[in-house]
Amino acid sequence: MKTIVLLSDARNPVSGRQQLSRLEAQAIGLAAGLCEKPRGLHAGSGEDGVSAGLGHGLAGLDIIDLPATDDPLPALAGFIAKAMGGAGAPELILCGRRGEGGEETGLVPYRLAETLGLPILADAVAIRAGEIAGTLVVDQAMAKGARRRVTIKLPAIVTVHSLAPPPMPFAFGRMRRGEIRHHEPLERLGLPDTAARSDASAEERPHRARPKLMRQSGTASGGPNLHVGPEPDEAARLILDYLEANGIRRYGSS
Amino acid sequence: MSRLRKDPRAERQERQVAAAGRRPRIDVGHREAKAASGRLRRDPWREWSASLVGESRRKRYDRSQRQMEHGNSARLTRARARDGVEATEISPGQPAVRVIDEPAFLVFAVITAAGGRLSRLDRQLLGAARLLADAGDGGGAAVAITAAFDPVTAKDLARSLGEAGADRVLSVPGDIHPSGTAAALRHHVEAFAPRHMLFAEDGDSADLARRLAVSLNEPLFAGVEHLTPRSAVRALRNGTREVALAPPLLMTLGEDRMKPYESGPCEARPLDIEVGPFGGDPAILSVEIIPGDPASLALSETDFVVSAGNGVSDFAAFGDLAAVLKATPGASRVVCDAGLMPRAAQVGASGTVLAADCYLALGISGAPQHLQGIAGCEHVIAVNTDLHAAMIERAGLAIVQDAQLVMPALVKLLAERQA
Ligand SMILES: Cc1cc2nc3c(=O)[nH]c(=O)nc-3n(C[C@H](O)[C@H](O)[C@H](O)COP(=O)(O)OP(=O)(O)OC[C@H]3O[C@@H](n4cnc5c(N)ncnc54)[C@H](O)[C@@H]3O)c2cc1C
Repeated sequence: MKTIVLLSDARNPVSGRQQLSRLEAQAIGLAAGLCEKPRGLHAGSGEDGVSAGLGHGLAGLDIIDLPATDDPLPALAGFIAKAMGGAGAPELILCGRRGEGGEETGLVPYRLAETLGLPILADAVAIRAGEIAGTLVVDQAMAKGARRRVTIKLPAIVTVHSLAPPPMPFAFGRMRRGEIRHHEPLERLGLPDTAARSDASAEERPHRARPKLMRQSGTASGGPNLHVGPEPDEAARLILDYLEANGIRRYGSS
Repeated sequence: MSRLRKDPRAERQERQVAAAGRRPRIDVGHREAKAASGRLRRDPWREWSASLVGESRRKRYDRSQRQMEHGNSARLTRARARDGVEATEISPGQPAVRVIDEPAFLVFAVITAAGGRLSRLDRQLLGAARLLADAGDGGGAAVAITAAFDPVTAKDLARSLGEAGADRVLSVPGDIHPSGTAAALRHHVEAFAPRHMLFAEDGDSADLARRLAVSLNEPLFAGVEHLTPRSAVRALRNGTREVALAPPLLMTLGEDRMKPYESGPCEARPLDIEVGPFGGDPAILSVEIIPGDPASLALSETDFVVSAGNGVSDFAAFGDLAAVLKATPGASRVVCDAGLMPRAAQVGASGTVLAADCYLALGISGAPQHLQGIAGCEHVIAVNTDLHAAMIERAGLAIVQDAQLVMPALVKLLAERQA
């Protein structure tokens, strides 16, 4: 199945240089397991960061040249809509969770899905083709190691979770061989940018680190709860009752 | 207290003698004063001793109303009665439930309440909602929205929601996938027009917030780090800059950013609203939940760790115990150094710092380097032969007994309970 990986304009937190975001590198790894020639798509200026994706397993890269200040969404939506109309339409679009170095709201995949009318699934850790043609089985990460296995009809947009398998190793030769195509932004699709009409009271300033709350610990059940030399069976009962009373696990029912 | 409260002004009035002159005259010999108000006198001594926590040498008081509620009558009657005052129950100490009948506006908090229990983050979200609802002139109501709430069965949940600060509770269909829940949420937003809406920046809630933001075409203020009634602050550009603005409609909140609500309980009245069945996404063909296997989880991700120290010699029993308790096995450094457990299982300063809720320590002395690793654990259970071990002091439940005897007893009891 033809797969596109969306690559964002990620910045190194220290140097501010363009780089490939780790989550997108993981997305490339997932895409390579599904599709022989996954392609990357990036809208923005410069190819320094995203071209590393070729070294991590992309077969080719499409870059829509845009000034760095422009909203990439309409150009991306226009490009994908055109590709889906033609032959060899992409079926799966993989993305990271949120940008690194920009607004970082994580809304781009959702707005893209809305614009293109595609279903979206978040937090994928594993992906494989479904038994029926044109379907995809996605494992979504949930709390406490649980997974949700969703079968979805293609085409679809899927965002990747950081617990997905690590990216494939970087190969310089593969990056050199990879083919980069530059495109002009053609038609622009999409909703008006909601960020633009955000509050006038918004004020951007240098970040101030704020400590998180301390995790309170101690005896939640009240006073000291000390038992000296109980019978082992009694001790076991005390421990299980404590676990169940505090809602850690329930053993009776299951 | 049984004595009535004195009202000195009323008594003075009683004793006043009608006289022609300008100066008031008082009959000092007049004794039959009756208290004007029917209020009982307070006994501050008794109230203090009722709020005494624990029986340590150093006195600790808990004056919050919560303590008064839980402070059972046994403790109240044990409170020393002073001479000449007969011991009676002071008022049951039920804190008044805070009721907001006609809310001026609503603040929604979308919480998970997995398994019918509120998590830390759920409480923090409700605390934030409470803060915004009381902003300015106040009068707003905090509404908890959860898929786990069922008004018939969830009495406990309703109570804990009230204690966490929810005035109202709304349920959304317990849809197995966020796409259906997002449609129901949108319906609620249109029906109630809340002023703010808070989500957790975590898992399905984060997904829901974004689906809703796109479907309402509203900006999303993601990952709020600091929230006051006047401003909400979030980091951007890789955490080098931040942006502050008046709290917008849609916000997501990270963990440990806001304090949970702590004063008297609120009402948590269920709101009835007809929600039609929301068909999920037609593109989703099937959904199946695969429960996590704690044994294969990383220590930093799990919620319950069973850990072995130098006092454990029977590692076969320990492995069985971890499996039947459905807990992730851990170990102290001594055990890992001896090669009895893999290095990845080491808990502590040079191992993994846990984020788990519960920690069961078997035969661990509680060296400072080890305790650093479990500083964030809310519930600690210690089994140790040494009464004076630091771990016994740290634990919420401390058992002075041989771990080799307790482990098989636990396995046996679990097998009985599950049978
Ligand atoms: C730089 C540095 C970093 C370190 N980092 C870590 C770290 O990350 N994690 C870590 O764990 N340690 C760390 N340590 C080591 C730490 O100081 C302690 O040595 C270690 O934690 C002790 O492990 P323990 O409690 O298992 O063993 P011990 O201290 O030997 O304690 C054994 C306990 O088991 C009890 N016991 C004995 N027999 C039984 C029985 N039959 N039933 C029940 N209880 C029994 C004993 O009463 C005793 O309390 C570090 C040390 C240094 C110097």
